[in-house]
Amino acid sequence: MNHLILGILPYFTVIIFLVGIGYRFYIWIKAPQPGAITLFPAPSGGADSFFAIVKESLLFPGLFKGDRFLWAAAWIFHVTLALIIIGHVRVFTDFPGLWAALGINADSMSAISGGIAGVTITICALLLIVRRLAILRVREISSFSDFMIMLLIMAILATGNAMRFGEHFDLNMTRSYFSALATFSLTSSLMPANQMFTLHFFLAQILIMFIPFSKILHFGGIFFTQTIIKKA
Amino acid sequence: MSDSPIIREKAVKAPAVEPDEKATTGPALRKQVTDACKAIDNGPRVLKLYMEMCARCGTCAEQCPVYQGEPTELRNPARRSDLIRSVFKKHMTVSGKVFGPLVGGRDFDGDMQRFVDAFYECTGCRRCATFCPMGIDNSVITRKGRAIVDKLGWTPERLQKVIDISLETGNTDGANQAALKETARFLEEEIADDCGVEVRIPYDVAGAEIFFVPPSGDLLVNPEAVMGIAKVFHKLGISWTLSSRAFDGANYGLFTGDDKSMKEDNKLYIDEARRLKCKTLMMGECGHAHRIMKFMMEKAKWWGDLPFEITNVLQFTAGIIEDGAIRLDKSANPDAVTYHDPCNFGRSCGIVEEPRRIMMASCADFREMTPNRHLNWCCGGGGGLSAMDDIYEFRMNVSGKMKLKQIDETEAKFCAAPCSNCKRQLAQLMEYHKRNVTIGGVHDVVYRALVL
Ligand code: SF4
Ligand code: SF4
Repeated sequence: MNHLILGILPYFTVIIFLVGIGYRFYIWIKAPQPGAITLFPAPSGGADSFFAIVKESLLFPGLFKGDRFLWAAAWIFHVTLALIIIGHVRVFTDFPGLWAALGINADSMSAISGGIAGVTITICALLLIVRRLAILRVREISSFSDFMIMLLIMAILATGNAMRFGEHFDLNMTRSYFSALATFSLTSSLMPANQMFTLHFFLAQILIMFIPFSKILHFGGIFFTQTIIKKA
Repeated sequence: MSDSPIIREKAVKAPAVEPDEKATTGPALRKQVTDACKAIDNGPRVLKLYMEMCARCGTCAEQCPVYQGEPTELRNPARRSDLIRSVFKKHMTVSGKVFGPLVGGRDFDGDMQRFVDAFYECTGCRRCATFCPMGIDNSVITRKGRAIVDKLGWTPERLQKVIDISLETGNTDGANQAALKETARFLEEEIADDCGVEVRIPYDVAGAEIFFVPPSGDLLVNPEAVMGIAKVFHKLGISWTLSSRAFDGANYGLFTGDDKSMKEDNKLYIDEARRLKCKTLMMGECGHAHRIMKFMMEKAKWWGDLPFEITNVLQFTAGIIEDGAIRLDKSANPDAVTYHDPCNFGRSCGIVEEPRRIMMASCADFREMTPNRHLNWCCGGGGGLSAMDDIYEFRMNVSGKMKLKQIDETEAKFCAAPCSNCKRQLAQLMEYHKRNVTIGGVHDVVYRALVL
C-alpha cells in the first residue's frame, strides 16, 4: 500500500494533472470565440485590459462589491493557499545559503508562519462550508461534489496541521524521498515511514488529479472568461 | 414593401413546430434539447467555459433583480443556467460521464414549459456578470437557452409576433410608410404649437448627413424625445433624415436567441443607410438597438466595411452641450428628475456619462439612483420581457421590485429612460404601484429646455 501511494501514484498524479490541464487549456484556446462580449466599464484593450484581468484574478474586486463576507473568506483562503503552496517548497528542497544570507532561522520561521497559515486557511475553509450549508441561494446550487471537494480540502488541511503541530517532523526525510522520486531512484528505505505524511500526501494527490476535471480548474479558466468580457 | 426579399424568405419558411408536437414530454423533444446542449462543445468558447467554470458561490443570485425580487430555485441564475449546464456536464465532460448527478450532471427532465419559463424569467441585464468572480455572464447562457427554445418552436407567441411584424414591416409596431409620414407631419405641428418655430422632421432625404434611427415607440408612443432631437438638429442646422421604411432600431432576435432573424432585421437598416448615402448612422434612445449596431454588427462586420460611422444621439447631444453649441434653460424642468441606466446602454455599451451630462444641463434638480451606472438595477423588463403581457404580474411584483424601490428613494417626479422597453415597463410599474412619477426619454427634457 505504502509502495503504491508513495512509489507509483505520484507519477500518475503528475501526468494526469499536466496532461489534463494542458488538454483543457488547449480545448479552450481552440474553441472559436467570435468577438468579445464586452461588459462595461471595460478597458479599451492592450495593457489596460491585461491589468484589469490580472487585478480581477488576484483581488476579486467584483466579488468585493457583490458579497463582502464571501470575498473576505475566499480571498484570505486563496492567498493563504498560495503562501502555503510556496512554503511547501521546503518540503522538497532547502536553501541554507539563502537563509544564512538573510540571517533568518528558517525552521522556526516556517514553524510560525506555517502554523498561522494552517490555522487561518482551516478557519476560512470551515466558513466556506458553513456558508454553503447555511445560505439557501448557495445551498440550492451546490452539488455533492462541491461538498466533497471542501471535505477533501479539510482532510488535507487537518493532516497537514497534525504534522505541523504534532511531534517534530523531519523535512530531511521528505527531501531525500522527493529527490529520489524525481530521479527515478526510489528505494523502499527512502520512503517516509510516517503514516500522517502518507495520508496527507495521498489525499493531496487525489485532489491534484481531480483538478482538471472539476471546478477547481477555475484558477486557470478565470483568465479566459475575464478576457472575453474585459475587452472593449 | 411586399417585394422585399426578407419577407419572401420568411413567407416560405415552414412553421417551426406544429402545436401537437409540443408535448411536454416525449423522447424526440428530449433528444433535441439534449443535442442542442451537447453542441456547446463546438463553441463558442465563452459558453464552453461557462459550462465548467461556475464556482457555485451564489453571488449572482445576491445581485440578480429577479432573484432579489422574489427568490425561487429556478430564478437563481446559476441554477437556471444549470438547466443547460447539467445536460452538457452529463454528456460532454469526463467527470459528468463517470459520476453523473454527484458532480451535477443530469439529463433534461423533459419539462419543456419549465425550461421556457425559466429562461424567460431572466431579463438578460448582465448584472450578475458584473459581480461574478468567475466572469460568468448568465445572460449568455439565457440567450443560448432561448435559442434552443426558438429552434423547437417554443418562443413565446407574443415575442415571435413582434419579430414577424418587424421582418414584414421594418418596425416592431407594424406601422406602414404612410403612418410614418403622417406622424412626422403631426410632430412638426406639435413643435410649432409648443415653440412657435417651424422645425422639420424630414424623412427619406438622400444625402443627408445623419440618418437617424429611433425606436418606433419614440415616434408613435412617446414622441417627445424625437421632438427634442429634431429641435437640436434644427438649432444646429444639421441635415438629417428619418427613413419611412426603416424607423425602428428595435430588434427582437437579440431576445429570442434567433441570430438569423436578428441579422435579417438589421440588414434593412444598413441597406437604407447606404441608399441614403449618410455620413453617420445615428441610433436613438434605444439601448439594445445601439448594442446590436455598434457592438455586434459593426464589430463582427456582418455586412463588411461600412461607408458611414455609427454613433448614438446621447453621445451627440452630450458632445454639443460640452461644446456650448446650444443653450438650455433649466427652469423649464424645475421638478426633481432621475435617470434610469438601461442595462444595454450601461453595461453593454458603456454609455453612462453622456445622458447624465444632458440631464444635468437641462434640469434644475437631478438626482442619482443608488446604485447607478453599470451597477444599476434592471427595470425588470429587459430581454424582451417588457413586451410580454402574460407575465405582467411577474414584471410588476418580482423583476421590477428593486427598481421600484430605487425610484421611490429618489423621490423624483420624472424618470428618464432612453429605451422603449424600459419606458413601457417603468410606466406600467408606476401605474401598477400608484406612483406619481412620469416616465420619458432623455431628450424629453431637452425638448423642454432647449432655447431656439
Ligand atoms: S442577466 Fe440579470 S436577470 Fe439574468 S440572471 Fe443575470 S442578473 Fe439575473
Ligand atoms: S456568481 Fe458566477 S461563479 Fe458564482 S454561482 Fe454565480 S455564475 Fe457561478
